Amino acid sequence: MITSLLWSSVALAAGAAPPECPYRGTTFDRQQLWHRLSTNAETVAPTPGAQGRRRAIAPIHNLPVANFIDRYIGAKQQKALCQPTEITGDEEFLRRVTLDLTGEAPDPAAVAAFVADVSANKRERKIDQLLASDGFTDRWTMWFGDLVQNVQFSSNTWLFYNGRNAYYSWIRESFRNDKPYDQMVRELLSASGDSVSGGSANYVARQYAMGPLQDLYDNLASSSGQKFLAMPLLCVSCHNGLGHLESVNTYLRAKSRRDFWQTAAFFSRTEFSWSYFEDPLDPKGVVGIYTIKDNATGRYDLNTIDGNKSPRSPAPGEPDYVLPAFILTGEGPRADETYRVAFARLLTGNRQFARAAVNYLWKEMFGVGLVEPVDAFDLAKLETQPTHPELLEALADEFIAGGYSTRSLLRTIAMSNTYQLSSKYTVGPWNESWVPLYARHYPHRLPAEMVFDAVTRATGVVPAIDVRGLPAVNRAMLLPDPYEPDPRTPIGRFLGQFGRGNRDDVPRTEDGSILQVLAIMNDVIVTTRVQRDNANSTIGKILASTTDPESIADQIYLATLSRRPTAEERQVAVAELRDGPLGDRAEDLQYALLNSLEFLFN
Amino acid sequence: MHSKFECPTCAKASGLPLGQGFSRRGFLKLAGTGLVASYFSDVVDPSILLGSTTTAAVTLQNSARNCIFIFLSGAPSQVDMWDLKEGSWTPADFDPTSYGEVRWPNGLLPKTGSHLQSLSIVRCGLSWVAVHPLGQAWTQLARNPAGATGAIAPHIGAVVALEAQISRTAKDVLPAFLAVNAGPIPGSGYLPARYGPFGFVPLAEGLPTLAHPDGEARFARRWDLIHKLDANRRTGALGKIAADLNDFFDQSKTLMDTPGINTIFKFDDAEHARYGATAFGDSAIVARNLVNARMGVRFVQLTLSGWDHHAYIYDRKTGQSLYTKCGQLDAAFAALLADLGVMPGAAAGKTLLDETLIVVVGEFGRTVGPLNGNNGRDHYLRNSIVFAGGGVRGGRIIGKTDSLGDRALEYQWSAERDVRPEDVTCTIYSALGIDFTTTRHDDPLGTGFDYVPFAKDGVYRPIDELF
Repeated sequence: MITSLLWSSVALAAGAAPPECPYRGTTFDRQQLWHRLSTNAETVAPTPGAQGRRRAIAPIHNLPVANFIDRYIGAKQQKALCQPTEITGDEEFLRRVTLDLTGEAPDPAAVAAFVADVSANKRERKIDQLLASDGFTDRWTMWFGDLVQNVQFSSNTWLFYNGRNAYYSWIRESFRNDKPYDQMVRELLSASGDSVSGGSANYVARQYAMGPLQDLYDNLASSSGQKFLAMPLLCVSCHNGLGHLESVNTYLRAKSRRDFWQTAAFFSRTEFSWSYFEDPLDPKGVVGIYTIKDNATGRYDLNTIDGNKSPRSPAPGEPDYVLPAFILTGEGPRADETYRVAFARLLTGNRQFARAAVNYLWKEMFGVGLVEPVDAFDLAKLETQPTHPELLEALADEFIAGGYSTRSLLRTIAMSNTYQLSSKYTVGPWNESWVPLYARHYPHRLPAEMVFDAVTRATGVVPAIDVRGLPAVNRAMLLPDPYEPDPRTPIGRFLGQFGRGNRDDVPRTEDGSILQVLAIMNDVIVTTRVQRDNANSTIGKILASTTDPESIADQIYLATLSRRPTAEERQVAVAELRDGPLGDRAEDLQYALLNSLEFLFN
Repeated sequence: MHSKFECPTCAKASGLPLGQGFSRRGFLKLAGTGLVASYFSDVVDPSILLGSTTTAAVTLQNSARNCIFIFLSGAPSQVDMWDLKEGSWTPADFDPTSYGEVRWPNGLLPKTGSHLQSLSIVRCGLSWVAVHPLGQAWTQLARNPAGATGAIAPHIGAVVALEAQISRTAKDVLPAFLAVNAGPIPGSGYLPARYGPFGFVPLAEGLPTLAHPDGEARFARRWDLIHKLDANRRTGALGKIAADLNDFFDQSKTLMDTPGINTIFKFDDAEHARYGATAFGDSAIVARNLVNARMGVRFVQLTLSGWDHHAYIYDRKTGQSLYTKCGQLDAAFAALLADLGVMPGAAAGKTLLDETLIVVVGEFGRTVGPLNGNNGRDHYLRNSIVFAGGGVRGGRIIGKTDSLGDRALEYQWSAERDVRPEDVTCTIYSALGIDFTTTRHDDPLGTGFDYVPFAKDGVYRPIDELF
């Protein structure tokens, strides 16, 4: 209790009555209280004249250093007198890293092998194994597809399934071959051709907007800024920063609409055209195909009065067009390069591109970015906006030095002790304000596809999901966009309730909801899968292998939560298995684990 | 911001440390209630109590308990419907009829025409943008979605849910904000997820997942086992996000245990037919049931899309023309007005319609005068908004447009200007007793979150003339 903490710092003469608690009867300012308890701020006397000394709690141990990440994280923890929890055990580490890197939970055989492995560098070898797996490609293709919003139908553009598939295949191939991230983005920004042949033209096609051509160019500039520089350039597409962005973004406050137009001008020679043709899969349907090309001439004119943006016109005395100049540096294209190639070069060569990327990747692994929101960087606040500014710069350096390899950067993160901390805080009472200090690995909910795939893998009942124009898939992580399967079908609804979004105006979310919880409790997708008479049922197989309740309990835990039960859990589980028909009780046990918080979190 | 933590049950300062290790469950045990009613946890959540500011001397209508928000997505043609303007283009079968001073397209909206005494129509509406996604979001967020607070803004319904939280009792097992057949709409923004829309598609069998497929007895066993095994639910050891999800489990269980809960979501063939035999009609039936149940629902959104008639607007053959859409709207809207008008409200002597504000609005309007080159109408900022119930005095027109329906000749409300989406939102909040000038100080941007931007400066205000 607070009063006792304060008393203990006050010297008591033997037999003397303790002094009156200076806090009795006062109102608590909750925010100040958090601040005082959790940081090493200089002690402030709570009321005039009171002895406001606070007992400093020195950590029992500091975060051990596996790589540079731990140095920065540990330094801030020490400054805040925040003790990190212990490194996690093998089972939790294996489940976490397998899910994070490949989107799947490890099966019982993998768990047993990993736990039994006594070699010193087994975690490192496991990380390398996962990075080289097909699952890695699947999972990070999903991530990038979200980032660039690859989807067949959206409010402004219809890529149709054929464009979507070509885009999906291009993304998959890029990750499979560890194509450097900067090269991926340069290709997307500068691609020409049609949306079906190569796939990369879909990035530009996706930004189409109805209205004047300038709206299109603006879309491309603001999207590219948002996705690849993680900056809200959209703000200055409608008005100057001055008078609008004072409390929103200090860097962009100094930018004008003209600065934005100059960036959009890099797209002013890009031409979109599209045509429809008969859907090869449906004689009554049509599909569209976009063609993107660059012209030798073209200009960003300031002559619009309607459309998606406020009117564009020059200031008095200024020309009625703008030439390309990159908003971060003012640079324009070189003589020997096209506008879009220049933009691609300038954007991917800028340090902010690396910062944005490593922040995204960090967020995928930790559930929160070093900068939040992840697409609202304020370049004038690089020393205060990130929770760990120097770490962010060091990660950016590492990413650049590693040739923008996502595998390499993710490896570095996974190898850190920061990443490998336990999800449980076992070294004292937990303080929620320590979340940004990474004192524990803070559990975050699994994204929709991982939840679904974990249910099907745990139960053994794996679906075949049709995908338009591609082979059927048996994992949600392989779905190319959120319209497969149709959101009105059972699986589509399930994924929607777990927040997969629509890659358009509904972002992915890990928020909970009643329907989501009703789904995991009562949707037949889950309840029929635990039934032992399914072909390939995990429960069926376990029951066929033994009648020993202890073994059954262990196997169900391993299959569902990728770990063995604790002694207490086994006791409860075995008692349950003995309390009725074994088959039914085994189904109930798996059902209960599928509805445990641990199952839905990582 | 100093906030004194008071126990809402006994209004005494708890003196409990809100420091490390604070757990809601721990507090509830200490407070002696033993209840793990999920509604309680957010009342206890200090972020709600962190404070907000309002302006002095704001008058609120406080005449409605609920709001049914009917969103006509795609932008309906106001000069063919709510603000009928006749010309050489007007088909004869629109059957324009005079009801008092109102010219009404009886051929399009006959059933609604018999409820005109309940409706008030604002004809001087003016949207800010003429593009769908931006306009739709603007109407539902009461601000520019691309603006600074646009990214964190909650749906109007989520604000209503938040404001209704404090008055919820154990009977209120349903969420406050529901979206029926509404498609993807803005969510809770930066507010806790529990205030986000409970969105579902209306089915004759109701909500299948409200019941466990393997039966109540089996589920009771399973629920017990879940909790016996999952220590994290007791200790909160996985952190706040997991604890929040556990609250949803508890809330869902309460729903499942509420006898007859699924009746609210079901409908039979006769009702389905009476409401027009459409998904939108089904949504209206469920909306009626939801406000009638008085189990916590305060804001229901229904969406009827397909109004984007750039071409062939009067061509019945397309099966998607204005005739079709108006037919769908007419049957459902009229049936809803009729049913709410006879069902008793919560207060003695009041009907459900008296207590439920109904708003019918689209994201903008359509072009006026003759049709375009494709026999359609294009986007236009001028639009109309229809109000009924919830204290609205029916039979009024607010705003008079010129002969084409373009410029406003008279505004006929106190602000003497066009009615903006923000004013519609102020009207909704005022009817529901919510202070529309509120600024919350718990937003992640740290700049303050206005329920309606600039309302506290008097820039936007409710249309009090409706009441």
